[in-house]
Amino acid sequence: MLVVEDLEVRYQELRALQGVSLRVAEGDLVALIGSNGAGKTTMLNAISGLIPAASGRISWRGNSLVGLSPDRVCMAGVVQVPEGRKLFPKMTVEENLEMGAYLPAARKHLAESRKAVFEIFPLLAEREKQLAGSLSGGEQQMVALARAIMAKPGLLLLDEPSLGLAPVIAAEIFQVIEGLNRKGITALLISQEVLHSLNIAKYGYVLENGKITIHGKAGQLLDDQRIKESYLGL
Amino acid sequence: MNLTLVFQSMFSGIMMGSVFALLGIGFSLVWGVMKVINISHAAFGLLAAFMSYTLLNVWGIDPILSIAVSVPLLFLAACVIYRFLIAPLTKARDIIVPSMILTFGIAIILENLMLLIWSPDPRLLTTAYTSKVVILGPFYFQYPRIAGFLLACAGVVVIHMFLKKTYTGKAVRAAWQQRDAAQLYGVNLRWISMITFGLAVSSAAAGGVGMALLYSFEPHTHNLWLIYLFLVVIVGGVGSVLGAALAGLTIGIITGLSMAFLPYQWVNLLTFALLMIILIFRPQGLFQSEV
Repeated sequence: MLVVEDLEVRYQELRALQGVSLRVAEGDLVALIGSNGAGKTTMLNAISGLIPAASGRISWRGNSLVGLSPDRVCMAGVVQVPEGRKLFPKMTVEENLEMGAYLPAARKHLAESRKAVFEIFPLLAEREKQLAGSLSGGEQQMVALARAIMAKPGLLLLDEPSLGLAPVIAAEIFQVIEGLNRKGITALLISQEVLHSLNIAKYGYVLENGKITIHGKAGQLLDDQRIKESYLGL
Repeated sequence: MNLTLVFQSMFSGIMMGSVFALLGIGFSLVWGVMKVINISHAAFGLLAAFMSYTLLNVWGIDPILSIAVSVPLLFLAACVIYRFLIAPLTKARDIIVPSMILTFGIAIILENLMLLIWSPDPRLLTTAYTSKVVILGPFYFQYPRIAGFLLACAGVVVIHMFLKKTYTGKAVRAAWQQRDAAQLYGVNLRWISMITFGLAVSSAAAGGVGMALLYSFEPHTHNLWLIYLFLVVIVGGVGSVLGAALAGLTIGIITGLSMAFLPYQWVNLLTFALLMIILIFRPQGLFQSEV
């Protein structure tokens, strides 16, 4: 289980996160919703150790992640698919996947992970020798997800995996995420596509101005009047 | 125009240029990927040259073999310098200028250390084969130049293979292409930076010995070498291994040809005029960074 309690993150004077608490139970897919600038990416980056927490607790499977460097957080099995994909543009698709399995624990399973990844994304097998920077947006997002799968994550942190993609491809990406979750990977998903993400999530949180304002079962949130008005445009 | 002379000076140029390349690759790599302009890069090369000089004259160890001593020693020294001097600096937002000042200081310390140990006299690496030549048809090749050329080729290939084929080398490239993502997938940035810096300084050590095979040297010589380092980076593009290699060869050939056909005092003028032309028309360098 991922437990975040009273997490506070500051950018100088600005309190980006003001005492956020959230839980993701083992095997669950949880959606984190909120408008631009609400602090969603800040939240994931604080969990990953890219930005320091001013106060509060973060733990995964009982081990505290506070103060760990990003590579240590990855070692603990918490893997982020960052916003904007952040591939290694001048490396081939194959090398990007290898970098996903950089840590020794994941590297041991390199061959089988590759096979699994190519089963999910057959297209990537054809693109293996191409530079990641030369791929289309949809293909790049597939590489970003594939790279994360190579890391053998226990917990997957997904930051806007469908941003800027054509609707058909976005739907495919959501399907893959749902499939990964069914295979037992716990996931915390940020997405602007509220309807889509609440449809595949079990639980949802709404983050507004650095605070959790609403949370509940995904189905309940879809019926919530406030969410319908603010996020679904109904 | 005498064609034999043209080819002869081109070959000489290629041999010189390959050594410029080896000396310049690490400089370019550290500049491109770490944003550290290591002013002391050539001074480390010169230190390795002096180490070879002592090993040769005291124990009779061949300069090429003495690299087995200087490269690991300077690798370790570079790691320590990175850990205690450069790593604290990397917390600053813009480290190019501070890193130049810091490494300028290191260069001064190294220079005075060399003055203290080896005195300001010019030195030559005089081996048993120094005056030997290979004659192929109308061309002749001096042994030390061949040795320098082979050393440089080996060095460039080793660095290239390290970056392309090993996991650590790939992590170096990944870390500098996409710092955050590399960290998110388990790359320890401090460790990788240390390896990069150590590798660069080691290659400077090999390059310095290569330079010493071609030219005489004294404790101030690294200042002159530094100019060639900047040339290699400007022509080759910052952070590119293959670019640096090609740049070294280009500069070598130009220098070689101009030495044969121009009065000596015009050689540097031509080289730097060319540099200015490149800066005006291709400020990003002739080649693209592939790191």
